[in-house]
Amino acid sequence: MRRLIVAAITLMAGLAEVSAATTYHIATVAEGLDHPWSLAFLPNDDMLVTERAGRLRLIRAGEGLQAAPVEGAPEVYAEGQAGLFEVLLAPDHEESGVLFLSYACGEAKANTTCLDRARFDGERLMDRETLFRALPDTYGASHYGGRMLLLPDDTLLLGLGDGFDYREHAQNPANHLGSVVRLTTDGDVPEDNPFLGVERAQPELFSVGHRNVQGLAYDAERREILLHEHGPRGGDELNRIQAGGNYGWPMVTHGVDYTGARISPYTDLGLFESPLLHWTPSIAPSGMTLYDASLFPEWQGDLFVATLAARHVVRLNRVDGRIVAQEPLFAELGERIRDIRTSPDGALYLLTDSDEGRVLRVMPTEQR
Amino acid sequence: MSLFLRCLLGYAAAVLTATLLGSIVQTQFNLAALTEMGLRIPLGTRLATTGHDLLGFTPLYSVIVAVAFAASLPVAEALRRRWRPGAHLFPALGAGLGLWVALWVANSLAPMPTLIAATRGNVGSLAMVLSAALGGVAYAWVTRALSTRRISPCDA
Repeated sequence: MRRLIVAAITLMAGLAEVSAATTYHIATVAEGLDHPWSLAFLPNDDMLVTERAGRLRLIRAGEGLQAAPVEGAPEVYAEGQAGLFEVLLAPDHEESGVLFLSYACGEAKANTTCLDRARFDGERLMDRETLFRALPDTYGASHYGGRMLLLPDDTLLLGLGDGFDYREHAQNPANHLGSVVRLTTDGDVPEDNPFLGVERAQPELFSVGHRNVQGLAYDAERREILLHEHGPRGGDELNRIQAGGNYGWPMVTHGVDYTGARISPYTDLGLFESPLLHWTPSIAPSGMTLYDASLFPEWQGDLFVATLAARHVVRLNRVDGRIVAQEPLFAELGERIRDIRTSPDGALYLLTDSDEGRVLRVMPTEQR
Repeated sequence: MSLFLRCLLGYAAAVLTATLLGSIVQTQFNLAALTEMGLRIPLGTRLATTGHDLLGFTPLYSVIVAVAFAASLPVAEALRRRWRPGAHLFPALGAGLGLWVALWVANSLAPMPTLIAATRGNVGSLAMVLSAALGGVAYAWVTRALSTRRISPCDA
């Protein structure tokens, strides 16, 4: 009881909370953001944060959130789940200023996920061009994916969604629905893409059979690509991604439709890659970071998955890459958490998902 | 039996019929989408899935049907009394049209484009509307069976 009271008092002060194994405090870095979606750490300690409504915002180190959005962002289709998604810095960003933006493009009756490249000069975006537009355009405002990941060979992965009404197309390699695509940083198709040369398949495809990719991370030690995706009602999945892999949606799933109807009678057919784990009931994972810094030594090597529905972060405790336990963290915030990042100095950053969204910084208690 | 009770029992029969038939129909459309992708679904699995949906899908669907019919069947009943020629068709038409409107409203309010997967296409939507219309037929049959009058049994 005493610990609960202490936790409540410190939380109200906006500073601290205690987990069973690790003490940390949470500080607000920025607030008043409209559904912040992703965060990028700039080399000069500034940060860029996307707002789903279509704004790219700058948080200056020592100054905080700048009032005016960054100029030059793409025009996005903002409705429902659609909007501006991820901002990702290019491998040579420090010299070139290049970054990538994923977003929903088009209009209500015909829209899809787009990927732009632009140059950021510290004030505004310049030389913006669209590198990729997922095929085909679909109707509605659901399931775009939008998460990106840079691989060590400087190619780029973009996770996509199935457009909700088009779930069967996640098994159709003739389009990009429900897939992960791999591109060069110029938007070209890498020569070793697994579907390149496959008849009627889109050459950008890297893996297929996904519902709505919402998290990507790379384990450099094990050379593993890790991905999580939303299931329907139940069946959220964490997958290890193989080039050319088929992850089975909607032929196999641990979830049922929102109406309660079965989408498939099968959870495993032996034909598809099986998830490392699935969450049933759904937690709605969103954003993921593999913690490889030293500020929280006991968390090194663990995966952290932000969640919307469950309103906490799931720490996936890993031993030699194998998930051995799950621990909910930061539930005391009571907020939907859209994204989680590891900063260059080893802190964890959280984005809360609301029209008064915040950027939060998690640090060890002794370093606050 | 009172007028109100006759209509209420007819309404209950309509909701029950349309809900059960609609559930069975939508399961077959969902499974058909899988078989079109090359998946083989044995009869036992099909029956088990249909049974699962009769438990899992009907709670939400019965609410949609009940609300739809609460609005559309009284109108159909009023029309049945006014236009005697072809009067027996009005409950079926009212039930089918009521569900079609309810699905449109549900899709407009729900965050996803289409709430019930089986109604993503015209054929599936028509099948669901027809299953609702059979609910209207059940309404007509029950109210008629409980009435001493031949036509417009809910007319006092």
